Amino acid sequence: MSSTDLTPADFAKLPRQHDADQLTRPSLSYWADAWRRLRGNPRAMASLGLILFLLAFVTVGPAVWTVDPSAQDVDQIGIGPGADRHVTLTAPLTPWEPQTMAPPKASTDNPLGFTLAEPATTQAVRLTWVDHDSPHRLYRNLFAPADTGSYGLPLADLDTPYFEDRLDLQPETYYYTLVALDAAGEETDTGVTLTIDVTRVISFAEARERGLIGPDEKAEIGQTLELAWHPLGTDYLGRDMLARLMYGGQVSLFIGLLAPLAFVLLGVVYGSVAGFLGGAVDQAMMRFADFVVALPFLLFMILFKVVFGIGPGESGILPMLAAMIILLWPAPARLVRGQILQIREEGYVSASKLLGATTPYVVGRHMLPNTLGVILVTITFQVPSAIFTEAFLSFIGMGVAPPTPSWGAMCNEGIKSMLTRPHELLFPAIMISATVLAFNLLGDGLRDALDARMRGAE
Amino acid sequence: MPRSTTQNSASTEPAESISAQPSATREPLLQVDNLHVDFQTYGGVVQAVRGVSFDVAAGQTLAIVGESGCGKSVTVQSLMGLIPMPPGRIHKGTATLRGHDILASKFIEGRDVRGREISMIFQDPMTSLNPTMTIGRQIAETLEVHRGYGQSQAFSRAVELLEMSKIPEAAKRAKQYPFEFSGGMLQRAMIAMAIACEPAILVADEPTTALDVTIQAQILDLLADLQQETGMAIILITHDLGVVARMADDVMVMYAGEVVERGSVDDIFYRSGHPYTQGLRLAMPTNKHNEDGLPEQTLIAIDGSPPDLFNPPKGCAYHPRCPHAMNVCAQQSPEQYALKPTASSTQGHGHQAACWLHHELCTPQGGRS
Amino acid sequence: MSASTNESTAVTKPLVEISHLVKHFDLGGGQRVHAVDDVSLSIYPNEVVGLVGESGSGKSTLGKTVVGLHDKTAGRVMFNDTELPARYRGEDFRAMASKMQMIFQDPYSSLNPRMTVGEIISEGLRLRKALKPAAVQQKVADWLRMVGLSPDHQSRYPHEFSGGQRQRIGIARALILEPEFVVCDEPISALDVSVQAQVVNLLGDLTKELGLTLLFIAHDLSMVRYISDRMAVMYLGSLVEVGASNQVFFNPKHPYTETLIASNPEADPEHERQRPSTTIQGEIPSPINVPAGCRFANRCPKAMDHCASHTPLLKPLAGAGEQRLVACHLYD
Repeated sequence: MSSTDLTPADFAKLPRQHDADQLTRPSLSYWADAWRRLRGNPRAMASLGLILFLLAFVTVGPAVWTVDPSAQDVDQIGIGPGADRHVTLTAPLTPWEPQTMAPPKASTDNPLGFTLAEPATTQAVRLTWVDHDSPHRLYRNLFAPADTGSYGLPLADLDTPYFEDRLDLQPETYYYTLVALDAAGEETDTGVTLTIDVTRVISFAEARERGLIGPDEKAEIGQTLELAWHPLGTDYLGRDMLARLMYGGQVSLFIGLLAPLAFVLLGVVYGSVAGFLGGAVDQAMMRFADFVVALPFLLFMILFKVVFGIGPGESGILPMLAAMIILLWPAPARLVRGQILQIREEGYVSASKLLGATTPYVVGRHMLPNTLGVILVTITFQVPSAIFTEAFLSFIGMGVAPPTPSWGAMCNEGIKSMLTRPHELLFPAIMISATVLAFNLLGDGLRDALDARMRGAE
Repeated sequence: MPRSTTQNSASTEPAESISAQPSATREPLLQVDNLHVDFQTYGGVVQAVRGVSFDVAAGQTLAIVGESGCGKSVTVQSLMGLIPMPPGRIHKGTATLRGHDILASKFIEGRDVRGREISMIFQDPMTSLNPTMTIGRQIAETLEVHRGYGQSQAFSRAVELLEMSKIPEAAKRAKQYPFEFSGGMLQRAMIAMAIACEPAILVADEPTTALDVTIQAQILDLLADLQQETGMAIILITHDLGVVARMADDVMVMYAGEVVERGSVDDIFYRSGHPYTQGLRLAMPTNKHNEDGLPEQTLIAIDGSPPDLFNPPKGCAYHPRCPHAMNVCAQQSPEQYALKPTASSTQGHGHQAACWLHHELCTPQGGRS
Repeated sequence: MSASTNESTAVTKPLVEISHLVKHFDLGGGQRVHAVDDVSLSIYPNEVVGLVGESGSGKSTLGKTVVGLHDKTAGRVMFNDTELPARYRGEDFRAMASKMQMIFQDPYSSLNPRMTVGEIISEGLRLRKALKPAAVQQKVADWLRMVGLSPDHQSRYPHEFSGGQRQRIGIARALILEPEFVVCDEPISALDVSVQAQVVNLLGDLTKELGLTLLFIAHDLSMVRYISDRMAVMYLGSLVEVGASNQVFFNPKHPYTETLIASNPEADPEHERQRPSTTIQGEIPSPINVPAGCRFANRCPKAMDHCASHTPLLKPLAGAGEQRLVACHLYD
């Protein structure tokens, strides 16, 4: 910047541009500007994406994955995702005649001669051992026994050296333990454990009945077929997890979205009336709201369930909705009332009155639009709260009635087999957590996007 | 300095402003050189302060004048270390107090500069004082922290300071809470707190903007009296030219983060060399009478609004609003031109204006009116 | 502003007549804030009356009570010989909307951030439903030009404008219904110095062009003197002095007015150096426990024994015409 480069022409008068009052940035309405801000917030956008996905999952999902959530696939009870779904065709079970078989031999690792008589299938597991003229006790376990105490489920005390196990056989690995008993019936130290993998089998008639073989199709013994695919496994009754999650999601999201919408709207109306009228009416209305806050939520839920009763075939959704709406409106009411009280003092409200506006116009055109941001954020934060409440209530049995699925109810069912079949608990829990997290993050993002504008920060 | 009567000998002779010490001892106490402060925000970088330099000498009052967004508050706050350093950033410039660099470290010889050597009072006393502590405790706290006084010693000194600030019934008032004070009283309490450690410089950021005009007069008189008693320097930030005329020895006019003019108070008011300063004066109603004995009735507004600091105009920041703008003004930023120096200026820089109108190539037809 | 004296207005009728107006706020427990206490003021057509006072003087409350935003505790306000209701209802506001309007102080909260500028300005017209949308839009464009903005700004939002521009939008909103009387409640206090002049000049021009009558409430004495024909000084809810602006400013009679003017710093260093230091002592009393007698007595440098017990009345000053009023025992 050297002033020696300047010429007299540079000092000629600059033509006046009246751009002093020009606005160069594009004009954005409140919502457009808020949306722009929201778009720039990656966490919020990811949450929004997740929420949209979840909504699609529960609405469009059932049309794509058309499995009936209450249909039980008895061949695949409690299987995890990605489990083997092959089944072998076999002849129907014929009675066992162990006496006709060659007796097993004992060996040094297997003093009892404890062996599998034939290949183990889900129809039957047939075991035999050397006859010592003493009784034996047979145990079965899903886990390998670590010490003498954990043999598992005692199946029978046996005098004869053979046993056919037909108790709830699943295509799993079972650990059978045979313990010799002494004359007094006490367990001796002699015991042998067998690791047996059970193969899933199905008879021809069953296969035809379940539609695995077409009516005209020919099939042979020993042929493997494929059972229905359950991408997320099945629950303890053999019901498809994916379908249950979709339908359960419908219930959870229905309550989670509808209840907050309803009670926030109720709170908005109540709070605006109180805030606008002010004075003694406002005080009275707020004291009533305080009273409602003091009511114990859980007790009232139970009361509602009892009073409304849930008959057979009813889902129990309506009493829960009613309870939430009746008990949760005071918080948004207070919030909106506070906003209205603040807005009432703003200049543009007085200006509008002076221009001849009626009260409904002032409230509807000036006050409520300026509280919409707060209302929207409130709703967004109340949704996860409602979903969680519903899940919690269903979990303790106070929510929707079976067989109506809901994520909370599914968690309740899943907790019983948490150790052996964790997928039954894991999937609904993940759904609940993801939904709650997504709404909370979206609420944060919305608040940031809307708040700065509300403060008029430039 | 307190205003006492002087004789104005001739209209062309600049009137001396009274100063307590002769010019030889007016060494600059605080020297700020080429300070640049910017802020990183989501919308971009805001260049709040762009190359500000000034000196302050003991016993003198420097007024920093400008409108909102000109950077006057950010300038002094960055000296005080009150700007949060992300998003703020001092990316150029030095500031020395008695030779010690106060931007590099907030300590001089192990003692905290802030509150001790330089203290500050703010515009809104209501939010600058802790509402949960009594006034006496808050003042005492300053003394305990900076001076190591014991509790009772600090408290009795606090009462003395309140008396110095002309608060009636100081002993009783010291035990009261801020909400029991009126606006003017709170400002006095803030002043008492600020002078507790006998600072070399008192920075007052729009101290009377929120006060009534009669209370403002009291506070300004108090500041002037305290200055006379203690010999401290005052940096007074304001947008009110009346307050400047009343209080200042030297004036620095800021616009869009830059210094557009500086000089003694007489230079600025009677011999201004910058269109913005002139514009500010013309935008305020004068209460003087003209030759016919009738009150003057002109008010000339400055067009437009202060510029967007995200995107300051190219060249001189003021040119879009300047009635004398020339081609060069839109292209290059003007340097500081020295105007005819006057004896009364205590500024090391003399009377300077950053305006192309003072360039040698600028002819009367070229752009001056 | 016009430099004419006001003898001629004594013949014409006042446009707005405020008689013994009282506004108290009830705090409960028997305590009341005496915001406005027995104020009487006549405002004549086409004049600008300035109302000055410090905080606690009640000037803003007076303005709001005159337009009906506060209910009147006592006293009355006449507009063109019609008495205005003590308590306004919706239809009263509607009836008065085209006669009396207000310009508000804070440009940041006096415009609804959710409405476009066009909607804000046209609100008065749209509420009356008298004009077609096209005609409304035309009017909005005209008014935007009149206040120095561009018609393109109609679709923009308030946050895109500076304080001064927002104040202009507020002016357009108030004037679009073509009222006769406008109360300006501290319209420039929240603006920068250079912008204040813009708005003041705009108001001045519009007042002359449209033949408005203004009540200009502010605390900046110099600005009020500049823009007003007559000036009234208020202290703790009552008027202490009224008269032509230049007279009240350069020749104040009431001790409070004297102190007020003397405290007002002038942008002239020489003037300030020569000005003797006259600062007022003490604090303004609380408007809840208003002292008996003259309210200024406890701080008045010229107080007499008489003052603390007898309230002075606002009376014409002897020999200065009917329009020069002072409330002070010095002139009894």
